[in-house]
Amino acid sequence: MAKKPSMGRQKIKIAKIKKKNHLQVTFSKRRSGLFKKASELCTLCGIDIAIVVFSPAGKVFSFGHPDVECIVDRFFTRNPRPNSSAFQLVEAHQSASIRELNLQLTQLLNELEDEKRRGESLDLMRKDSQKRFWWEAPIEKLELNELEQLRDSMEELKKKVTNQSNNILLEIKPPRMNTASSTTDIRSFGYCDGFF
Amino acid sequence: MTRKKVKLAFITNDSARKATFKKRKKGLMKKVSELSTLCGIDACAIIYSPYESQPEVWPNTLGVQRVLAQFKRMPEMEQSKKMVNQESFIRQRIAKASEQLKKQHKENREKEMTEVMYQCLTGKWLQNLIMADLNDLGWILDQNLKEIYKRIESLKKMTPTQVAPPVAQPPPPPPPQVAAATSEMLARGVHGQEQKPAVESGNVEGMQRPQWYTEWMNNPNENLGFGHGDEMMMQFGDNHNAMWSSAFFP
Repeated sequence: MAKKPSMGRQKIKIAKIKKKNHLQVTFSKRRSGLFKKASELCTLCGIDIAIVVFSPAGKVFSFGHPDVECIVDRFFTRNPRPNSSAFQLVEAHQSASIRELNLQLTQLLNELEDEKRRGESLDLMRKDSQKRFWWEAPIEKLELNELEQLRDSMEELKKKVTNQSNNILLEIKPPRMNTASSTTDIRSFGYCDGFF
Repeated sequence: MTRKKVKLAFITNDSARKATFKKRKKGLMKKVSELSTLCGIDACAIIYSPYESQPEVWPNTLGVQRVLAQFKRMPEMEQSKKMVNQESFIRQRIAKASEQLKKQHKENREKEMTEVMYQCLTGKWLQNLIMADLNDLGWILDQNLKEIYKRIESLKKMTPTQVAPPVAQPPPPPPPQVAAATSEMLARGVHGQEQKPAVESGNVEGMQRPQWYTEWMNNPNENLGFGHGDEMMMQFGDNHNAMWSSAFFP
């Protein structure tokens, strides 16, 4: 289940991409990255911004802080940044929730990075073991009699796992009800629907 | 270029903030320009900062007006469909990161349980497996068995004349069986293969094992990583020299 190694960062020529597929993928990725950079700039430096981008298919994507409409209007009317106390109050609220969201995002990204690293070390462990024990090698590499042996061992283990599961279930199964509460008594006679 | 990880929060230091603004604004404009050229699309950017009275724009004032006019001409719904602000954008990023985390977590769990499975196959039974672990272990076993059965099928199809290994060449030692079950299996002759645990039968001439297997057999004391080397050795170590000596060390 190993990930296919990607090509990594390549230096490309800044000219219109010839292949349609490539162009669309590039648009999608770069537009996303552009908005991410814009979002970071807003957070880090507390500025107002709007970006409008048309896709190769003719759809329009836009990013704006505080929002696209507001910036577009400001641009066309040449009005200065609103300064009313009402505006400032709204802005304070927005900033607070944005701060919260950024914290949440940062935490998630850190967790994701940790899990990725854990995955990589598990992969290394696996690669290592595969070299040592023949039955841990990838299945395509095994011969018929090895496969049959492995199959048998696994079937045995499966039985053991099933047994153990059943044991656990038996352990936690509630005892039969003979000292039940009145509610349960009624229930067992099938009256509960009418009463409750 | 230093690659220190920057905390995603407002930069309180004024000069640091201004410096960051200059750099990042420049980079952002460059990215918009590249996007426009590479994909042959129209775009514009408007940045209002406390450092300039006039907004900084890309490509230029006229270009921005043109793109915005084009934007405004579109139906309202089209305009707002892919419109985001800080809040909605960050929420989108959070949703995506959550998905990726879930997926990575699931992948890692599978890898983990695969390790557990192999440990159990060497005979170590992990007592403290809870229900969830047992379920996942069962699932991993099923996945592996599915593949194995498929592979056995296709191998049998390919070489119908070589289904059973020739009698002179006994099967190699199995992976050390789940410890408790081993003697039972031998007694019951599971799957009718009496010769199976070659450890007991002792016929081992004409072995053709992959190179790494031979190496392993010749180096039984190699550190086995999971710390289960003891179990392994108990099953094989005692018989090792006596059994294999004829084949490998005549």
